[in-house]
Amino acid sequence: MRFLPLILRNLGRNKLRTGLTGAAIGLAVLLVCFFLTMPAGIDVFLSQIASNVRVSVHHKGGLVYQMPFAYVNKIRSVPGVVGADGVTWFGGAFEEAGHVTFPSFAVEPEHVGAVWPDYHIDPAALDRFRRFRDGAIVGRQTMEKYGWKIGQEISLRSTIWPVTLTFRIVGEIPNARSPLFWFQREYLAQAMQARNWTLDIVGIVWVRIADPALVDGVMAKLDAMFRNSPAETAAETEKSFFASFFGSLQGFVTIILLVTGLVALCVLFIAANTASMAVRERAREIAVLRAIGFGRRLIFGTLVAESTLLATVAGGSGALLTYAFTAGVKAAAGGWSTQLGPLAGFLVSPAIVGEGMALAVVVGLIAGIAPAYGAAQKPVATILREVF
Amino acid sequence: MAQPLITLRDVSRSYERGHDIVHALADVTLTIESGAFVALMGPSGSGKSTLLNLLSGIDRPSAGEVWVVGQRLNDLSEDALAAWRARHVGLIFQFYNLIPVLSALENVELPLLLTPFGRAERIRRAETALRVVGLAARARHVPSELSGGEQQRVAIARAIVADPDLIIADEPTGDLDARSADEVLGMLRDLSREFHKTVVMVTHDPRAAHWVDVVYHLEKGLLLGVEPGGAERRA
Repeated sequence: MRFLPLILRNLGRNKLRTGLTGAAIGLAVLLVCFFLTMPAGIDVFLSQIASNVRVSVHHKGGLVYQMPFAYVNKIRSVPGVVGADGVTWFGGAFEEAGHVTFPSFAVEPEHVGAVWPDYHIDPAALDRFRRFRDGAIVGRQTMEKYGWKIGQEISLRSTIWPVTLTFRIVGEIPNARSPLFWFQREYLAQAMQARNWTLDIVGIVWVRIADPALVDGVMAKLDAMFRNSPAETAAETEKSFFASFFGSLQGFVTIILLVTGLVALCVLFIAANTASMAVRERAREIAVLRAIGFGRRLIFGTLVAESTLLATVAGGSGALLTYAFTAGVKAAAGGWSTQLGPLAGFLVSPAIVGEGMALAVVVGLIAGIAPAYGAAQKPVATILREVF
Repeated sequence: MAQPLITLRDVSRSYERGHDIVHALADVTLTIESGAFVALMGPSGSGKSTLLNLLSGIDRPSAGEVWVVGQRLNDLSEDALAAWRARHVGLIFQFYNLIPVLSALENVELPLLLTPFGRAERIRRAETALRVVGLAARARHVPSELSGGEQQRVAIARAIVADPDLIIADEPTGDLDARSADEVLGMLRDLSREFHKTVVMVTHDPRAAHWVDVVYHLEKGLLLGVEPGGAERRA
C-alpha cells in the first residue's frame, strides 16, 4: 500500500491517455458482460414462453414438410394426451406492411382452450372464435403494434396459399409478448375448396399432455405410432422446439461472442501499448529509482500494478454499468419490451460482473507484464548508460 | 586517522560495445576515508562515471576488489546491490532527476519507501531533510515549480534522507549557474564536515577543487594522480 500513491500519480500524469485507455477497456468489458448474458437470457426466455407439458409433433424431415391431417385425431387417442390442435402456417402479410410481420396460423378453434390453457384467453372470446368462421384471435403484441381493436376486420394475403382472407378479430391472447394470429382452419379449407384444393394436410400438431412425468413416454409413443409411414414424425417439447427455432439466434450469439473476444484482444493490445509507452517515457525515472535502491521485483510489481489498477477500475466500471443498465431495462420493461424483445429479460448476473472484472484484471496483468519485465530485468548500470 | 570507507584494489572495468571491448577503467587502487569530500576529475571518457558506478554498487568490476562500508560489492547480486544501495548510498545526478508528478516532499520520501518506517515517520524525516537544504517552505511544490538550484537541493535532500554512509554526486553543478553551484558545493561540504558523510563527486567544474579534501585525476581509465583539494590545503 505504501507504493499506491506513487502508482496513482503515475496513472494521473497523462490523464487523457489514461482516460482513453480506461474507456476502451471499460467499453470492451461492458460489451463482453452484455453478450455473456445472451445464452442464459435465451434459456430464460425459452423457459418463459414454453410450457413443460406441451409438445410439438411435426414431420421428421423438418417444418417445411407437411403431415396428413388425419394424424391429429390419432394423436388425440393416445393415453395421456389432454388436447391436440393441428396448426397450419398461413404466412399472412398485412397489407399495410406488405410482407409477413407476425406469425399467422390456421388452427382448430375447439381445441385451443385445451392445448393452451396457460394463455388465459377469455372464454367468451374462445366461444366467439368457435362460432364465427372468419374469427381471429390475435396476440396483444400485434394488436398493440397495429392499433387493432376487437371487432375490427383485417385482410391478410397468404404468402403460402393462393388466397387473401378477411378476418374479424374476436379476441386477444392477453400476453404483451405474443405476436400470434390464429384463425379457423375451416375458413382456410373452404377458401381452398373454392379453388378445387382439399386442405388435408397439417404442419404442426401441438399436443398438451396431462403430466410432465408422462411427456417423454407420450412423445416416444407418438413417434412410434407413425414410424414407417410416409410421413414419420418428430415429437419434441415446446422448449426444444423454440430452441431449434431460435437456432440461428444461437449461431448469431456465437458470432457475437467471437467478435467480443476479438474486441477484448484488441483492448489487450491497446492496454499493452499504453503500458509500453508509459515505461518508455519514464525510462530515466525508472533508472533513477533503480539506482537509489528500488529492486527489480519492486519496479516490476509497481509497473504491473499500474496497468492492472487501470484495467480493473475501468473494467469494473464497465461491468457495473452493464449490470445497472440491464437491471434498469428489466425493471422498466417488466422483463419484456416490444422494442427490445427478449433482450429486456437479459440480466447481467453478479457472476457475469465477476467474469468481466476477471477479464479486466487479466488484461491489465498481461498488458503490464512485458514492458515491466523489460524495465526490471536490465542491469541498472546498462539503463543508466542508455538514458544518461 | 579516519578509517577507510572505500577501498579499491586493482579494479578494472571493461565492457563490450558491438564487437569491440572498451576498457573503461584499468587497475585502479585507492582508498577514501570516512567523512572525506572527494572529487573525481578528468576529461570525458576518462572513467569517472564508471568509477562512480563501481563505488555506488550500481556496477560491478571486471577484475579487482571493491570494498565499501565493509562490504565486498563483487559478491553481491543485482538485487542485493539494490538493497545495499538503499541502505548505504545517496545519489545525486547532474539533471536532478526528480519524479515530475511528485512534490518535493514526496520525492525526498522515495528512498524511505524502502525502509520499514511508517508514513508519519517518513514524512517527518523528509521534512527534516528539506529543512537541512533550506527548502522546507517549498515542500508541496512539484519540480516544475522549482528553479534548477532548488531542484538540485531537493535531490540532495533525497540523497541524505535515509542517512546513508556514502553520498555519490555525478556532476551535481553541471547544470547550475555559479551561485547555485556554490550553494550546492557548500552543502555537500557541510554534509561531509558536519554530518560526517563521505561524499564522492564527479565534476568538470574547476572551482569544485576548492571545496573538496582530495582530488583524483583520471584519464583514459587510469588513475593518474591524487592531490589535496582546497579544503584540505586550507585545513
